[in-house]
Parts: sequence; structure tokens; C-alpha cells
Amino acid sequence: MTEPGYNRTREALITAAIVVGVLALWYLAAGILAAGDDPLANSKLPYPHVIVERFFDDFSEVTSAAWTSLSTALIGFAIGTAVGIVLSVIMVQAAWIESAVMPYLLAAQMVPMIALVPISQTVFKNDTATRLFIAAFITFFSVTVAVVRGLKAAPPPARELMRSYNAGRLRTLRYLDLPAAMPMLFSGLRVAAPLSLVGSVLVDLMGGSQGLGYLMLAAQTFGPAQATLVWVAMFVLLALGFLLAQAVVMAEKVLAPWQPAMRQGGGH
Amino acid sequence: MKEATVQHDHGAIATRSATVVATGVGKVFGSGANKVQALDDVSFEVPQGSFVSILGPSGCGKSTLLRLIAGLQPISSGEIQVNDHTPDEMRKAREFGIVFQQPILFDWRTVEQNVALPLQLIGTPKEERKRRVSENIELVGLSDFRKHRPWQLSGGMQQRVAIARALAFGPRFLMMDEPFGALDMMTRERMQTELLRIWASRPGTTIVFITHSISEAVLLSDRIVVMSARPGRVMRVIDVDIERPRTDEARKDERFLEIEAEIRDLIFSQEHA
Repeated sequence: MTEPGYNRTREALITAAIVVGVLALWYLAAGILAAGDDPLANSKLPYPHVIVERFFDDFSEVTSAAWTSLSTALIGFAIGTAVGIVLSVIMVQAAWIESAVMPYLLAAQMVPMIALVPISQTVFKNDTATRLFIAAFITFFSVTVAVVRGLKAAPPPARELMRSYNAGRLRTLRYLDLPAAMPMLFSGLRVAAPLSLVGSVLVDLMGGSQGLGYLMLAAQTFGPAQATLVWVAMFVLLALGFLLAQAVVMAEKVLAPWQPAMRQGGGH
Repeated sequence: MKEATVQHDHGAIATRSATVVATGVGKVFGSGANKVQALDDVSFEVPQGSFVSILGPSGCGKSTLLRLIAGLQPISSGEIQVNDHTPDEMRKAREFGIVFQQPILFDWRTVEQNVALPLQLIGTPKEERKRRVSENIELVGLSDFRKHRPWQLSGGMQQRVAIARALAFGPRFLMMDEPFGALDMMTRERMQTELLRIWASRPGTTIVFITHSISEAVLLSDRIVVMSARPGRVMRVIDVDIERPRTDEARKDERFLEIEAEIRDLIFSQEHA
């Protein structure tokens, strides 16, 4: 057994080394491109420090766009999660409900977002509503599929135990099935959180007039001089997605710390 | 560990009134070509306040039989009466505390909260709940582990928690489905004498105990229902007239060895037939 502290240091070192390596490669590539005879090289692949400078130059514009994307993604994520949990609970009530609903759920997942966004734009006639819908739609699928499995995770004797206490469906759900489904719920949320952000940004890219996606699109249309802003928006999006995923992991540590992977303190 | 101080006021087992009466019980799973006769014409009685083991090889339907008595599965034919009620009525009246082979503790609850679960579901007032929880945790000797999570305990300790939980709401029946089957031999033997001690402090509780261990059945039981497999039938009902309280010493008792041998002969004579 290695000490956990040792492992963590090693992990941090490796992560840092990868970051340094990627940055070095980037500078190298940007340098080679700049040395060529392409006059636009600097806007196609700007040096990383130029991107950082640009971020602070256009700070208010970038943060406002980021806030639009983040807030709609979060609300959509919450709606999608709630709808997903409710639908899962309904689905596991009877095998026939599940087999009746599951095909539609899978069909819904097959709908390309690129087709769904314009359709919902014409339906809602409102960018914010469309962002919420797309973010919720993406979340809802991952959550439902995961929670349906999670709600079946309790072993049969646990169910018999609840029956021996004469606990009805509602109480069995509250005291047994929902807590037992928590790990699966979180695995669904981990996948859905960054995707909800992508969903929101997709609406900007397809006709929205705000948000990080709009910023990227607008910067591109304003010519090569603005291309650095595209990179800024992309990195902000990346950072937000990463933070959302981390937030889900943190929430899981607080709300479902009993899972084997998160246990602290060993057995006897 | 406290000594077993409470004596059972057992008379001879045959004179006590029956609390569980199984008459010609049959259980069929599936239908048509997939039909499996799990139990066939099973009849026996469980005297009030006694310890009755159902003993048999795997596949004899003994776990199924326990579920029928506890009202967890419907009977296909015949009848089971528990205190003149159907098993289902008794289940709804919360008369059965159940312990399975796996402890089935909820990982998201502490030891204390696991034991409190049935009381919470029944709606026992908070003060009363607290009292019963600590009383039953003390009974199984885990007072120092009240705040622990199930996975921080050994297998034997987990099973003690399951026993405390089964007793917490004061059911008149303790239904045990191979509760020590997953434990190592030494833990198992210690848990057997522990169970006798725990039972002694809950006079009047009737225990139905499923096992495939002959010595376990003989040590613990007042009566042993020996079953054969496929379909599950009762081969013989044997009353164990070894004096209580029984300790590990009882394992060396002449009568213990006699009964053990009788059951072994019975089971093996059938297997080689």
C-alpha cells in the first residue's frame, strides 16, 4: 500500500507536467506558424499569453457572455434533473411503463441537437427559453437513464425487509430506493453538467444574440483581428465545464459519502 | 458480554401451544413447462416462544418456507396460520423481525440509524425510539459502534446490527434466514451462543431459523424440521431435549451428538437412496 499523500503529490506533479508540456507545444506551434509567411498566423493560433491579455482587455464582455451561458445552463440542468428523477420514479413503478417509455427516451437521445435547436427556436421564439430547453433536454436524458438503473440497485432482500415493516411504495422509495439510487444519479449528473453548458452555447451558435457561443461567432465575423476572442470564449467555456463537473463531484462527496469509492476510514 | 440470566419458562415443548401452524403447504414457482414445485405438503408446528430450525440441503425450499410464514410470498396450496391469522395479516401488524444471510444494512445510515429504521417507519415517538435503539444496540454488544457506518464493521458485527434492527420494534417473531451462513466458522459459533443469550433476554419471542448446518440447528433449537430437496418435503420433526441455557459445552453433550447423528443418518440415507 502506498500512502495517499504520496499519491496525491505525484498526481499533482503529473498534472502540472502535462500543463507545462501542452503550453510548450502551443508556443512551439504558434512560433512555427508565425515564422512562416502567413500574415494572419497570429490570429489563427495566438500565443497563450495573448489570449490571457485579451481576456482581461474584454473582461466585462466575456464575463457577461459567460454569465448568460452559465446561468441558463444551470437552470436548464436543474429542470432536466428534476424532470429526469420524476420520470425515472414513474418508470420503475411497473415494468410495462418502463418498456413503454424507454423507446421514446432512446429515440429522443438520437435527435441531433443541430436539428432540435432551430425547431425549439421557432417554438419558443425566445433565446433564453431555448437555451433552458436544450440544456434541460440534454440533462434529462442522462439523468433518467442513470436513475432508472439506480432505483433498481437495492437488493431484493432489502425490499423484503421494507415489506416486513409494512412500508408502502412511497416509504420504500424514500427510505430505500432513492438513497440507493444516489450514486447512479451522480454519475448521470457528472456527464450532464458540462453537456448542459454545451447545449446552452449551441443555441448562441445557431442564432442566439448573447452568451459565449455568440461571442465566438461575433468575433469570427469581425475579422481576423478578433480571432483571439474566439480562443478566449473557448477557454472560458472549458473552464466553466470543468468547474461544473467538479461541483457535481463536490456535491456527491457531501450528499453521498457512503459509496465505496468515497469511503474514509477502513474496516475492522 | 453479560451472562444469560433470564431463564426461559419452557415446559416440555410438546405441551406448549402452537403459534405457527403449517398444514399441507405447497409452493409452486412459474407455470407450464417452467413450473417448479418448491415445497410439497409441508406440515409442522412452531410452539409459542420456542426456537424452531428448518434444516435441509440447498434447494429444499427452506428459505421460501420462511418467506411464506413471514407473509412475504403467497402460498400456492395448503395453509399457514400464525396466531390464528394469515401470515400477511401478521406481516402488516409488524409481528416479524427478519434477519437475512446478508446483513442488508443501509450504507447511508449509521449503525444507530439502521437500527432506528423500522421504528421510524412505524412512527415510534422520538424519545421511545432513542431508548429502544440504544437498548437493542447494547443488547448485541455494539454500544461503542453506534456512530459507525456498516462498512466499517466486520461481518459478524454487521449481522449483530441486523439482529438489533430486527428486535428494535419488538416483534413477536424473529425470522432468520441462514443468518450466520456467510460468516467464518469461529465467528459463526460465537454468534450462535450470542443469539441464545440475546434470545434469553427477550422471553416470549418465537424464532424460526433457517440453516443447513446440523450442529447449528441442534445447539440452538427446541425443534428441528428436517427437510429433503426437490420438492421440499418434511422428512422428520425432531424435538431437541437438551437442557437450557445451552453454552458451547452443550456441543459435547451426549444427547447433542446423538441427535446430530440421527439427523445426519436421516439426510444421508435419503441422498444415497
